[in-house]
Amino acid sequence: MATATYPPPPPYYRLYKDYLQNSSSAPEPPPPIEGTYICFGGNYTTDDVLPSLEEQGVRQLYPKGPNVDFKKELRSLNRELQLHILELADVLVERPSQYARRVEDISLIFKNLHHLLNSLRPHQATATLIHILELQIQRRKQAVEDIKRRREEAQRLLKESLGTLDG
Amino acid sequence: MDIISQLQEQVNQIAGIAFNTFGTLQRDAPPVRLSANYPEPPAANTTPEDAANFAEQPKQMSAALVKAAKQFDALVAALPLAEGGEEAQLKRIAELQAENDAVGQELQRQLEAAGTKTGPGVVQPSGR
Repeated sequence: MATATYPPPPPYYRLYKDYLQNSSSAPEPPPPIEGTYICFGGNYTTDDVLPSLEEQGVRQLYPKGPNVDFKKELRSLNRELQLHILELADVLVERPSQYARRVEDISLIFKNLHHLLNSLRPHQATATLIHILELQIQRRKQAVEDIKRRREEAQRLLKESLGTLDG
Repeated sequence: MDIISQLQEQVNQIAGIAFNTFGTLQRDAPPVRLSANYPEPPAANTTPEDAANFAEQPKQMSAALVKAAKQFDALVAALPLAEGGEEAQLKRIAELQAENDAVGQELQRQLEAAGTKTGPGVVQPSGR
Protein backbone atom coordinates (compact mmCIF):
# COMPACT_ATOMS: atom_id res chain seq x y z
CA MET A 1 0.00 0.00 0.00
CA ALA A 2 1.70 3.19 -1.13
CA THR A 3 1.22 6.30 0.94
CA ALA A 4 2.08 9.78 -0.26
CA THR A 5 4.36 11.97 1.83
CA TYR A 6 3.06 15.22 3.23
CA PRO A 7 3.57 18.21 0.94
CA PRO A 8 6.68 20.26 1.79
CA PRO A 9 6.22 23.50 3.75
CA PRO A 10 5.84 26.59 1.54
CA PRO A 11 9.20 28.07 0.55
CA TYR A 12 8.47 31.46 2.15
CA TYR A 13 10.43 30.51 5.26
CA ARG A 14 13.65 31.71 3.56
CA LEU A 15 12.34 35.26 3.62
CA TYR A 16 12.35 35.25 7.43
CA LYS A 17 16.04 34.36 7.84
CA ASP A 18 16.99 37.59 9.63
CA TYR A 19 13.69 38.12 11.41
CA LEU A 20 15.19 37.99 14.91
CA GLN A 21 17.75 40.66 14.15
CA ASN A 22 15.55 42.91 12.03
CA SER A 23 11.77 42.54 12.25
CA SER A 24 11.17 44.64 9.16
CA SER A 25 13.38 42.62 6.82
CA ALA A 26 10.63 40.04 6.35
CA PRO A 27 7.46 40.69 4.34
CA GLU A 28 4.28 41.88 6.08
CA PRO A 29 1.47 39.32 6.50
CA PRO A 30 -1.09 39.43 3.65
CA PRO A 31 -4.02 41.80 4.21
CA PRO A 32 -7.39 40.24 5.20
CA ILE A 33 -9.46 39.01 2.29
CA GLU A 34 -12.59 40.89 1.36
CA GLY A 35 -15.44 39.71 -0.79
CA THR A 36 -15.49 36.16 -2.13
CA TYR A 37 -12.59 33.75 -2.07
CA ILE A 38 -11.96 30.21 -3.24
CA CYS A 39 -10.84 27.60 -0.71
CA PHE A 40 -10.16 23.98 -1.75
CA GLY A 41 -12.23 24.46 -4.88
CA GLY A 42 -15.23 25.92 -3.06
CA ASN A 43 -16.48 29.48 -3.20
CA TYR A 44 -16.89 31.24 0.11
CA THR A 45 -17.95 34.74 0.95
CA THR A 46 -16.77 36.95 3.80
CA ASP A 47 -20.11 38.67 4.07
CA ASP A 48 -22.09 36.26 6.29
CA VAL A 49 -25.72 37.18 5.96
CA LEU A 50 -28.78 34.95 6.12
CA PRO A 51 -30.13 34.65 2.54
CA SER A 52 -33.77 35.65 2.33
CA LEU A 53 -36.36 33.05 1.53
CA GLU A 54 -36.98 34.32 -2.00
CA GLU A 55 -33.32 33.81 -2.81
CA GLN A 56 -33.73 30.17 -1.86
CA GLY A 57 -36.85 29.86 -3.99
CA VAL A 58 -39.19 29.43 -1.04
CA ARG A 59 -42.44 31.37 -0.70
CA GLN A 60 -42.52 33.62 2.36
CA LEU A 61 -45.71 33.14 4.36
CA TYR A 62 -45.31 35.85 6.98
CA PRO A 63 -45.63 39.54 6.03
CA LYS A 64 -42.42 41.22 4.99
CA GLY A 65 -41.43 44.61 6.32
CA PRO A 66 -38.87 46.28 8.54
CA ASN A 67 -40.11 45.00 11.89
CA VAL A 68 -41.62 41.55 11.97
CA ASP A 69 -43.54 40.69 15.13
CA PHE A 70 -41.76 37.42 15.74
CA LYS A 71 -43.91 36.06 18.52
CA LYS A 72 -47.15 36.66 16.65
CA GLU A 73 -45.84 35.20 13.41
CA LEU A 74 -44.34 32.16 15.11
CA ARG A 75 -47.61 31.44 16.86
CA SER A 76 -49.72 31.85 13.72
CA LEU A 77 -47.32 29.63 11.75
CA ASN A 78 -47.67 27.01 14.47
CA ARG A 79 -51.46 27.11 14.14
CA GLU A 80 -51.22 26.85 10.36
CA LEU A 81 -48.95 23.87 10.78
CA GLN A 82 -51.41 22.05 13.03
CA LEU A 83 -54.27 22.74 10.59
CA HIS A 84 -52.22 21.44 7.69
CA ILE A 85 -51.30 18.27 9.54
CA LEU A 86 -54.99 17.70 10.22
CA GLU A 87 -55.77 18.36 6.57
CA LEU A 88 -53.15 15.80 5.55
CA ALA A 89 -54.73 13.22 7.81
CA ASP A 90 -58.12 13.92 6.19
CA VAL A 91 -56.71 13.69 2.68
CA LEU A 92 -55.06 10.39 3.47
CA VAL A 93 -58.42 8.99 4.53
CA GLU A 94 -60.57 10.39 1.71
CA ARG A 95 -58.35 10.95 -1.35
CA PRO A 96 -55.00 9.27 -0.62
CA SER A 97 -53.50 10.04 -4.01
CA GLN A 98 -53.49 13.79 -3.37
CA TYR A 99 -51.07 13.77 -0.46
CA ALA A 100 -48.24 15.45 -2.38
CA ARG A 101 -49.59 18.98 -2.32
CA ARG A 102 -50.39 18.83 1.39
CA VAL A 103 -46.94 17.49 2.19
CA GLU A 104 -45.44 20.31 0.15
CA ASP A 105 -47.49 22.87 2.11
CA ILE A 106 -46.32 21.39 5.40
CA SER A 107 -42.67 21.52 4.38
CA LEU A 108 -43.16 25.13 3.23
CA ILE A 109 -44.43 26.02 6.69
CA PHE A 110 -41.44 24.32 8.31
CA LYS A 111 -39.03 26.21 6.08
CA ASN A 112 -40.69 29.50 7.04
CA LEU A 113 -40.54 28.58 10.72
CA HIS A 114 -36.84 27.82 10.58
CA HIS A 115 -36.11 30.95 8.57
CA LEU A 116 -37.90 33.09 11.16
CA LEU A 117 -35.91 31.47 13.96
CA ASN A 118 -32.66 31.96 12.08
CA SER A 119 -33.39 35.63 11.54
CA LEU A 120 -33.71 35.99 15.32
CA ARG A 121 -30.04 35.10 15.77
CA PRO A 122 -28.55 38.57 14.96
CA HIS A 123 -30.96 40.06 17.48
CA GLN A 124 -29.74 37.52 20.04
CA ALA A 125 -26.14 38.44 19.26
CA THR A 126 -26.67 42.16 19.91
CA ALA A 127 -28.66 41.37 23.05
CA THR A 128 -25.73 39.27 24.31
CA LEU A 129 -23.36 42.14 23.56
CA ILE A 130 -25.56 44.57 25.49
CA HIS A 131 -25.63 42.17 28.42
CA ILE A 132 -21.84 41.81 28.43
CA LEU A 133 -21.38 45.60 28.33
CA GLU A 134 -23.77 46.04 31.25
CA LEU A 135 -21.91 43.41 33.28
CA GLN A 136 -18.58 45.08 32.55
CA ILE A 137 -19.87 48.49 33.60
CA GLN A 138 -21.19 47.00 36.80
CA ARG A 139 -17.87 45.31 37.57
CA ARG A 140 -15.91 48.48 36.86
CA LYS A 141 -18.16 50.56 39.11
CA GLN A 142 -17.72 47.98 41.84
CA ALA A 143 -13.94 48.15 41.43
CA VAL A 144 -14.01 51.96 41.59
CA GLU A 145 -15.99 51.80 44.83
CA ASP A 146 -13.63 49.23 46.31
CA ILE A 147 -10.53 51.20 45.47
CA LYS A 148 -12.03 54.41 46.85
CA ARG A 149 -12.97 52.69 50.07
CA ARG A 150 -9.57 51.08 50.51
CA ARG A 151 -7.78 54.37 49.83
CA GLU A 152 -9.86 56.19 52.40
CA GLU A 153 -9.29 53.37 54.90
CA ALA A 154 -5.54 53.47 54.28
CA GLN A 155 -5.42 57.24 54.69
CA ARG A 156 -7.41 57.00 57.91
CA LEU A 157 -5.06 54.37 59.30
CA LEU A 158 -2.01 56.42 58.32
CA LYS A 159 -3.47 59.54 59.97
CA GLU A 160 -4.24 57.56 63.11
CA SER A 161 -0.78 56.08 63.32
CA LEU A 162 0.73 59.52 62.70
CA GLY A 163 -1.45 60.84 65.49
CA THR A 164 -0.34 58.13 67.96
CA LEU A 165 3.28 58.63 66.99
CA ASP A 166 3.10 62.38 67.52
CA GLY A 167 1.03 62.26 70.68
CA MET B 1 -29.63 25.63 25.81
CA ASP B 2 -30.61 29.11 24.70
CA ILE B 3 -34.21 29.84 23.87
CA ILE B 4 -33.77 30.02 20.10
CA SER B 5 -32.04 26.64 19.97
CA GLN B 6 -34.82 25.23 22.14
CA LEU B 7 -37.38 26.61 19.69
CA GLN B 8 -35.52 25.06 16.78
CA GLU B 9 -35.37 21.71 18.59
CA GLN B 10 -39.08 21.94 19.29
CA VAL B 11 -39.90 22.59 15.62
CA ASN B 12 -37.85 19.54 14.63
CA GLN B 13 -39.59 17.51 17.28
CA ILE B 14 -43.03 18.50 15.96
CA ALA B 15 -41.90 17.43 12.50
CA GLY B 16 -40.66 14.12 13.87
CA ILE B 17 -43.87 13.41 15.72
CA ALA B 18 -45.91 14.26 12.60
CA PHE B 19 -44.11 11.96 10.23
CA ASN B 20 -43.80 9.20 12.80
CA THR B 21 -47.54 9.40 13.41
CA PHE B 22 -48.45 9.07 9.76
CA GLY B 23 -45.83 6.45 9.04
CA THR B 24 -46.74 4.21 11.95
CA LEU B 25 -50.47 4.43 11.35
CA GLN B 26 -50.07 3.72 7.66
CA ARG B 27 -47.77 0.81 8.29
CA ASP B 28 -49.78 -0.84 11.03
CA ALA B 29 -53.33 -0.19 9.80
CA PRO B 30 -55.45 -3.34 9.34
CA PRO B 31 -56.93 -3.79 5.85
CA VAL B 32 -60.37 -2.22 5.39
CA ARG B 33 -63.17 -2.69 2.87
CA LEU B 34 -63.04 0.17 0.31
CA SER B 35 -66.35 -0.18 -1.50
CA ALA B 36 -69.31 -2.51 -1.84
CA ASN B 37 -68.00 -3.66 -5.22
CA TYR B 38 -64.87 -5.19 -3.82
CA PRO B 39 -64.95 -8.35 -1.74
CA GLU B 40 -64.26 -8.35 1.96
CA PRO B 41 -60.48 -8.23 2.53
CA PRO B 42 -58.78 -11.36 3.90
CA ALA B 43 -59.07 -11.57 7.67
CA ALA B 44 -56.09 -9.85 9.25
CA ASN B 45 -54.06 -12.04 11.54
CA THR B 46 -53.63 -9.47 14.30
CA THR B 47 -54.28 -10.55 17.83
CA PRO B 48 -57.02 -8.80 19.82
CA GLU B 49 -54.55 -6.91 21.98
CA ASP B 50 -52.78 -5.65 18.85
CA ALA B 51 -56.11 -4.35 17.66
CA ALA B 52 -56.68 -2.66 21.02
CA ASN B 53 -53.21 -1.12 20.92
CA PHE B 54 -53.83 0.03 17.42
CA ALA B 55 -57.00 1.81 18.41
CA GLU B 56 -55.07 3.61 21.14
CA GLN B 57 -52.21 4.73 18.91
CA PRO B 58 -53.91 7.59 17.04
CA LYS B 59 -55.12 9.04 20.33
CA GLN B 60 -51.69 8.86 21.98
CA MET B 61 -49.88 10.19 18.94
CA SER B 62 -52.21 13.09 18.41
CA ALA B 63 -51.94 13.91 22.12
CA ALA B 64 -48.15 14.00 21.74
CA LEU B 65 -48.47 16.28 18.71
CA VAL B 66 -50.75 18.71 20.51
CA LYS B 67 -48.48 18.68 23.55
CA ALA B 68 -45.46 19.49 21.39
CA ALA B 69 -47.35 22.34 19.75
CA LYS B 70 -48.35 23.75 23.14
CA GLN B 71 -44.73 23.50 24.29
CA PHE B 72 -43.74 25.49 21.21
CA ASP B 73 -46.25 28.20 22.07
CA ALA B 74 -44.94 28.32 25.63
CA LEU B 75 -41.38 28.73 24.37
CA VAL B 76 -42.47 31.52 22.00
CA ALA B 77 -44.10 33.30 24.93
CA ALA B 78 -40.79 33.05 26.80
CA LEU B 79 -38.84 34.85 24.06
CA PRO B 80 -37.20 37.91 25.62
CA LEU B 81 -37.84 40.18 22.65
CA ALA B 82 -37.32 43.68 23.98
CA GLU B 83 -39.32 46.28 22.12
CA GLY B 84 -37.04 45.44 19.30
CA GLY B 85 -35.81 47.35 16.35
CA GLU B 86 -32.22 47.14 15.43
CA GLU B 87 -31.77 50.90 15.83
CA ALA B 88 -32.92 50.74 19.44
CA GLN B 89 -30.37 48.04 20.17
CA LEU B 90 -27.56 49.92 18.43
CA LYS B 91 -28.47 53.08 20.30
CA ARG B 92 -28.34 51.19 23.59
CA ILE B 93 -24.93 49.77 22.68
CA ALA B 94 -23.63 53.27 21.92
CA GLU B 95 -24.93 54.53 25.29
CA LEU B 96 -23.37 51.61 27.12
CA GLN B 97 -20.05 52.15 25.38
CA ALA B 98 -20.00 55.81 26.36
CA GLU B 99 -20.82 54.91 29.97
CA ASN B 100 -18.18 52.18 29.92
CA ASP B 101 -15.55 54.65 28.72
CA ALA B 102 -16.47 57.14 31.44
CA VAL B 103 -16.36 54.49 34.16
CA GLY B 104 -13.10 53.20 32.72
CA GLN B 105 -11.50 56.62 32.99
CA GLU B 106 -12.76 56.95 36.56
CA LEU B 107 -11.22 53.58 37.34
CA GLN B 108 -7.95 54.68 35.77
CA ARG B 109 -7.95 57.84 37.90
CA GLN B 110 -8.60 55.87 41.05
CA LEU B 111 -5.82 53.45 40.22
CA GLU B 112 -3.36 56.27 39.65
CA ALA B 113 -4.41 57.97 42.85
CA ALA B 114 -3.93 54.73 44.73
CA GLY B 115 -0.45 54.67 43.23
CA THR B 116 -0.15 50.96 42.80
CA LYS B 117 2.36 51.25 39.95
CA THR B 118 4.34 54.37 40.85
CA GLY B 119 4.23 56.91 43.64
CA PRO B 120 4.10 56.57 47.40
CA GLY B 121 1.92 53.47 47.51
CA VAL B 122 4.06 51.22 45.33
CA VAL B 123 3.99 47.55 46.24
CA GLN B 124 7.06 45.75 44.91
CA PRO B 125 7.09 41.96 44.63
CA SER B 126 9.53 40.67 47.18
CA GLY B 127 10.80 37.92 44.86
CA ARG B 128 11.26 35.26 47.51
